[in-house]
Amino acid sequence: MSAAALDPIRLGLIWQRLNGIVDQVSETFIRAAFSTVVRENYDMAFSLLDVQGRQFVQSKRSIPSFIGTLPRTLAAVLEKIPAESLHPGDVIITNDAWIGTGHLNDISMICPIFHDDRLVAFAGSTAHTVDIGGAPSPTAQDCYEEGLCIPICKIVERGVENQLVIDFLTENLRAPAETLGDIRAQFAAFHDCRHKLGAVLREEGLADLEDIVAEIIARSAKSMRAVIAGLPDGRYSDEFQVDGFETPLTIRCTVTIAGEAIDVDFAGTSAQIARPINSVLNYTQAYSCFALKCLLDPEAPNNSGSFETITVRAPEGSLLNAARPAPVWGRHLSGHYAPPAIFGALSAVLPERVIAESGSPLWNVYFKGVQETDGSGFVKMFFMNGGHGARPGGDGPGCLSFPSNVSNQPIEMFENQAPLLVTEKCFVPDSAGEGRFRGGDAQRISFRSLASAPVTMTIRHERITYPPRGLLGGQNGAPGRDLVNGEPIPAKSRTLLETGDVATFQTPGGGGLSPPEGRAREAVLRDLDRGLLTAEKARRVYGDVGG
Amino acid sequence: METWVAEPTGYRVGVDIGGTFTDVVLWDLADARIATTKLLTTPDDPSRAVMDGIRRILEANAIRPGDVGAVIHGTTLVANALIERKGVPTGLITTRGFRDVLEIGREWRYDLFNLEIEMPTPIAARPHRYEITERTGPDGAILTEIEIHELDAIAERLRADGIRSVAVCLLHAYRNPAHEIAVRARLGEIAPDLSVSLSSEVSPEIGEYERSSTTVANAYVHPTFKTYVDQLVAGLAETGFRNDLLLILSDGRTVRQDTATLFPIRLVQSGPAAGAQAASIYGAISNEADLLCFDMGGTTAKACLIEGGEPERTANFEVARVFRFAEGSGLPLQIPAIDMIEIGAGGGSIARIDRRGLIQVGPDSSGSDPGPACYGLGGDQPTVTDADLVLGYLDPDNFLGGKMPLDLAAARAAIRASLAEPLGIDVAQAAWGIHETVTANMAQAATVHAIEKGLNADKFRLVPIGGAGPVHACAMARKMGIDRLVCPLGAGVASAIGMLGSPISFALARADMARLDSVAWPRVAEMIHELIARGRELVAHAGVPDGEITVSTAAMMRYVGQGYEVDVPVALSAIEGAREDAVAEAFTAAYRKRFGRSEAMAPEITTWRVVVSGPRPPLPATLRNGASAAAGATPAPRTVRPVWFAMSAQFVDTPVFARRAIGPGAAIRGPAVLEEDESTLILPPDFSAVADDGLNLIVSRNA
Repeated sequence: MSAAALDPIRLGLIWQRLNGIVDQVSETFIRAAFSTVVRENYDMAFSLLDVQGRQFVQSKRSIPSFIGTLPRTLAAVLEKIPAESLHPGDVIITNDAWIGTGHLNDISMICPIFHDDRLVAFAGSTAHTVDIGGAPSPTAQDCYEEGLCIPICKIVERGVENQLVIDFLTENLRAPAETLGDIRAQFAAFHDCRHKLGAVLREEGLADLEDIVAEIIARSAKSMRAVIAGLPDGRYSDEFQVDGFETPLTIRCTVTIAGEAIDVDFAGTSAQIARPINSVLNYTQAYSCFALKCLLDPEAPNNSGSFETITVRAPEGSLLNAARPAPVWGRHLSGHYAPPAIFGALSAVLPERVIAESGSPLWNVYFKGVQETDGSGFVKMFFMNGGHGARPGGDGPGCLSFPSNVSNQPIEMFENQAPLLVTEKCFVPDSAGEGRFRGGDAQRISFRSLASAPVTMTIRHERITYPPRGLLGGQNGAPGRDLVNGEPIPAKSRTLLETGDVATFQTPGGGGLSPPEGRAREAVLRDLDRGLLTAEKARRVYGDVGG
Repeated sequence: METWVAEPTGYRVGVDIGGTFTDVVLWDLADARIATTKLLTTPDDPSRAVMDGIRRILEANAIRPGDVGAVIHGTTLVANALIERKGVPTGLITTRGFRDVLEIGREWRYDLFNLEIEMPTPIAARPHRYEITERTGPDGAILTEIEIHELDAIAERLRADGIRSVAVCLLHAYRNPAHEIAVRARLGEIAPDLSVSLSSEVSPEIGEYERSSTTVANAYVHPTFKTYVDQLVAGLAETGFRNDLLLILSDGRTVRQDTATLFPIRLVQSGPAAGAQAASIYGAISNEADLLCFDMGGTTAKACLIEGGEPERTANFEVARVFRFAEGSGLPLQIPAIDMIEIGAGGGSIARIDRRGLIQVGPDSSGSDPGPACYGLGGDQPTVTDADLVLGYLDPDNFLGGKMPLDLAAARAAIRASLAEPLGIDVAQAAWGIHETVTANMAQAATVHAIEKGLNADKFRLVPIGGAGPVHACAMARKMGIDRLVCPLGAGVASAIGMLGSPISFALARADMARLDSVAWPRVAEMIHELIARGRELVAHAGVPDGEITVSTAAMMRYVGQGYEVDVPVALSAIEGAREDAVAEAFTAAYRKRFGRSEAMAPEITTWRVVVSGPRPPLPATLRNGASAAAGATPAPRTVRPVWFAMSAQFVDTPVFARRAIGPGAAIRGPAVLEEDESTLILPPDFSAVADDGLNLIVSRNA
């Protein structure tokens, strides 16, 4: 296709159509999936990358870290299995933490897409699996304890499943049917993708996607460069303490703006520790790029072009660039601090854009035990989001996922799958950080064990000691809490729940933005009326509001 | 029921209420003849326009109400009430500990990168959400008995807060509705005026957030809608109608008035769904199966893709999206629906100059009251209809067949004051700007809808319906790269025709989960026969003779462990004969069709479905019959009037044809205007049309 034929209108239509395809294909994956973590929590991503490995479209319902790591995963795959040795019908798999998303529980797959015998693109997908074998725990000392590592290999070759890989998975996983079911659901998605992408190429009379992708990448790159060029050059920093394990840890971030380029450097961040909260560089880079995209150029479509002039660094062996064989199971416990660190640093130049801290790193809980009905084992995970940080345009929404994008799971679905009863799920009064704009409300959720045998409950939560910070004069959100039968338990721990025991989790509230004196009186009255701000706290923060 | 009129000898009436117009269509099955009329909607009491229209059409055709077999009705009243938040003050009662589920939602961001994302505001605000002590387990067992006396205090507060309607959504009520039923019973005693919607009836599906959202939306529209339907039923009975009133659901199927008033939320997409069905019927007449139905009425314009003759359906239906129509930004509704998306403003949409100094059209509409300036009902804001009138697309003396004269001077004055003078252009140019802007917006939105489905818009044939659809159709097709249109007769009342042309059809479902290898076949067979008997009764009550009723059965199936099902047609004989192998085979085929592969795993059945239908009404034959008289010849134009076209950038004398005078084989080259009572087709100079034997005009862009 000649460049002249690619007028902006036609490019726009084809681009939109490619976006439509990844959304449809990810829907195919979700509809064929076997795990609730994919189907209900949407802990997954689907994207298309070109033959040079540049990601050009991704599904709307993607986890930010996954779309950030997939291009890096593809690069590692091609280093081991060059494009020349790929054939139609191949699918490559890996969950290597340093190649993939930073922990073994995310399985990434790459499928080369051929059109008229020519390699035209790669479909990439990543999905969380609740169990990957091993004995992941808050006390793991290295990554070998954390489960099975699948090296880069072809799980399907020319349309035929590699039985050896399947056998390795089957023998090492606690719930192989569910994990293999999800893997095969992705095969269905790849099939669908091949079909739909082929239709576009045929109908548009294209031999390949190179010109289209070049334009897509160039336009997003241009857009991001222009925004960065408009920012004042300089070095901006932020540093804060996080809960860590036995002792608090430090996150330090320096953002350097120079012309059209941004460098994010986490030098000064604590060293990695022999506890599973270390982030690999892939993951740190993914969340740093995501934060900059949200802050600087949220309207332009996201693709590899957006990040051409962005570099992200962290000292090797640090919490945000851990070296093998560091334990990394809970890598989000450090990695999710990258966005607030960057927002904090840039609040000096972009006070009208940055948001206050949210009630993350993401909270979840694992339950492992035996079903009452048939005595079979179960491993279930439940996600719960904190309050979103207050925004310059308004209050932070309550219980909204950020920076990740993981949905909750319906309680009714969960109770059908595990012998636990959810006894409450509600907003928590006075949990939001007050300010001119108020943070999002946190939630409290409680689980009562109905199992006759003990249920192993594993948690790894942050923001117990150091709550989400308010920004630019806004107040902090409330810290989170973990309780069993009303008594606090350590935030990174494994507990046995006996029959009737009740575990309660209260996620952190979102931080407020700008001083509370600026808050409209009607807004305070509304918060009081909704019962999410108590009269006592209202008096303390806002004085006498009347009403 | 003492007698019913057997088809095809009786009459059927279809009624569609839109935001601006109420359409009534009468079908005389014996004579194979259709009569239509269009009236302004009466928002204060929508049944008034309906009764007026029915009376008018029956009188004009000398038909007694008692001879009408079925009245079938669709409406956008429910959708508009939700979009405009014009329901009644609504409360919610939940299991203790869970009143915030409705507001917490699913906790995900529908726009990944937008830090300022807004979430939809729940219909039942936090102070109006109440909790009651009770608990049902996932297997339906009662874990905590309900403290029914707590309702006394709740009812007290509901009354004090002025709440008129309440949704009840208790955990696991989809499995065991006992506690929800107990709540309703008690409220019936202590608050008899309160309207009560139970989640176990409105949407008996797993998933507490989506079920709550659906139930609350139902509660919100229930009192108003019930009053409306009750008035209508009373009016029909008074007039001498004898059969059930049937209403069209969002998926195009029918229900009786009593079910419809209990669950108005299932009618949220009612009128538009019938429009999509009309488009596929018209397409079938012209042997076209891949269609883009473009329905532009007075208040909104909608589009629906029809592939292979079947309108696209959606399982993720949402209303009232708060952010650029983005999926996830609206209120989720667990209802089966035809995927008809809003692409813009209708004829009543108001045009103005925006902050950029450019013409902006909509999203607000003048509706039917006051309506466009040219209606002469007091509207002084220029609308799309005013522009179309000024441009000569509409005839001021022949709108609705001359029953509603339009005020051209008022239209010109409104456009001059609001647009032409501020922009320093003449009135015709400003009118053209309005027309062009609204058409371009719709073309863009419809194209995006197609490509978001991964489809290429230009392979579809455009089928314009609604009063304003045919006016804008050719210009819109040109912008979308579509070079062929199927323009039906009666386009202006197509939704009402779609109601008549679709079979009377009831879908009945029962959740009954079992692995395929352990289905209790005799019990299932018995249950299926029960469903079939109920369906047959409903279809018979709508006036269909027993011998013409058809039944199909299907199972919703998946592999054990999956969360979504595929719809698997299963022969009744396979159920009766416990043919596990045949069912497995049918599932594998359906699964492969959707996913391109099958798995070596055990399948299970979640729900059994039965569809009981009357015959497909012989609408194409009726339409062809109307054609026979004038076959062959191209009629002489009725008149000539000046009409504005872009390529000439001035008014051009253009022949005006009576659409109904055009018989099969007639050919017309643009520019031309083709008028019928309820709509006008504009054929620009670069288009030409040929009538086929179903009286559709096949319109093509000149090469």
